[in-house]
Amino acid sequence: MVLKEQFVVSQIMFDAKKLRQTILNMAYAGSTVHIGCAFSIVEILAVLYRSHLNFANNNPEDPLRDYLVLSKGHGVMAQYACMYELGWLTDNDVHNYFHDGTVLKGLSDAHVKGLEVSSGSLGHGVSVGVGLALAAKRNQTNQRCFAIAGDGEINEGSIWEALLFAAHFELSNLLVIVDNNGYQAMGTTNEVMRLGNIADKFRAFGFETREVDGHNEIALDQTIHELMELNSKSPKAIVAHTVKGKGISFMENDNCWHYTRLTDETYKSAIAELQSI
Amino acid sequence: MMRNAFSSALVTAAQSDPRILLLTGDHGYALFDEFRKVCPDQYINAGVAEQNMVGVAAGLAKGGFRPIVYGLSAFVPMRVIEQIKLDICYEELPVIFIGDGAGVVYSGLGSSHQSTEDIAALRAIPNIKILSPADHYEMAQCMELALRSLHPVYIRMGKANLPSIHSAQPNFQLGELCQIKGGHNQICFIATGSMVSTTITVSEKFNDVAVWSAPSIKPLNIDQVVKIAQSHQLIITLEEHSIFGGLGSAIAEIAAEYAPTKVCRIGIQDRFSKFCGSYQYLMQEHKLDIESVTSQIFLALKT
Repeated sequence: MVLKEQFVVSQIMFDAKKLRQTILNMAYAGSTVHIGCAFSIVEILAVLYRSHLNFANNNPEDPLRDYLVLSKGHGVMAQYACMYELGWLTDNDVHNYFHDGTVLKGLSDAHVKGLEVSSGSLGHGVSVGVGLALAAKRNQTNQRCFAIAGDGEINEGSIWEALLFAAHFELSNLLVIVDNNGYQAMGTTNEVMRLGNIADKFRAFGFETREVDGHNEIALDQTIHELMELNSKSPKAIVAHTVKGKGISFMENDNCWHYTRLTDETYKSAIAELQSI
Repeated sequence: MMRNAFSSALVTAAQSDPRILLLTGDHGYALFDEFRKVCPDQYINAGVAEQNMVGVAAGLAKGGFRPIVYGLSAFVPMRVIEQIKLDICYEELPVIFIGDGAGVVYSGLGSSHQSTEDIAALRAIPNIKILSPADHYEMAQCMELALRSLHPVYIRMGKANLPSIHSAQPNFQLGELCQIKGGHNQICFIATGSMVSTTITVSEKFNDVAVWSAPSIKPLNIDQVVKIAQSHQLIITLEEHSIFGGLGSAIAEIAAEYAPTKVCRIGIQDRFSKFCGSYQYLMQEHKLDIESVTSQIFLALKT
């Protein structure tokens, strides 16, 4: 993919193929689930880390950093993969994922440097992100907050409480990205709890809202840039149309990869497919 | 009186520390008149949306602020118990929760507004302190302790216009019981919140009995409770809260483990209020008025 049009804050490439490889390595090493949930947000995270998140001195605890809030904590392996690229996680972390006595859990956990919130219990992260955005506004620090929510996650009422609050308090430094992969734990979002037009709902809540292909890095990059540069007091939202399990043919749109663990065979064939691209 | 002590401690603290922010879920109308006048920029009405309010408080605390989250105790902590657990306590953020109208204060409004399970629900969550002042002097001290603490703190504010227990601000620390009356009787009383006043009246019917107020329910100074248990044959605990999981349970747990002593727990008997009525009426319904408490104690002494 040609990245020359991108706005670059990091020299690290955050190559989507490599990120997916790390996710597979971790899921295989730990025999863990939620692979599909991680694959749908790979490009979103790659673009954010590469081109938008300001981590001064590559420091996840820099007091003036931008905040990346993974409200859909189930996708955390995608964030681990980015943190591995940054050198915040090591080979040891990847290969010992989920082993006894290790710290990286199967959901976002604020005790891990680089993860801002504890989520997985859904509908928490966006509110905490709203608080972080409000703190930055009050501190006049120019920090931004990027919060990623799942489309299944926005079943939670607290999400809509958070959106009301963000619009009322004019948190223009907040961008909520909805990973609209069309699936939640027990089926498609249409089967489980119809969401209707998500972008229209965000607009109705007072958000500057765009829809974008969540796997097109250039489009994501430009949309994020455009939104964050808007001269508007409104909070921002992107509904990113994504594919659950994106990148591995036998995982795409097969919701069993919310729960299924890799076997030797599926691991090998997934890695082979990635390498053949 | 107690609400005034809270309000004036809040205003004083906010004036000297701009990091202090008051968040309310659209409650506390007259209570915050002074605060809104003096510190309007530190007042955030988060709307009727308590879950988000607690998440926002977590974000603000992570961003360097000292949020004080106010609500009726039926909602803060009860409605937001999971946000308190995960967003605040897991990270040990310095957020103070004020649960107003605890117990059956909203006697006429029914079970939605009554809160007799808040202590029990919070006690099992790590990292949070639970304070339960009995009068405005204890409230002032609780606010001082809470503001000084860098941990999550819940202050349970019950019936506000009861007589003062103390004549000056008592200097108890976190965990410490506050002795109201000394005595050599084999029975003694430990009460919290609104029940301290009732307990003092009831104690007059007994000869030379000691009375403690427990403004701090978690932590609870184990050594102090053990000493009390060792020097008495019966501890009577009193609280406007369920007998499950509150002060009585906490005292009984310590007594059972370190100094086996009979503990008689007086409180709400694992049931909702049945009727509408005044606060005094509801306290009678739950057998927490002076006469009912006295007869329960005589019964306990016979068995």
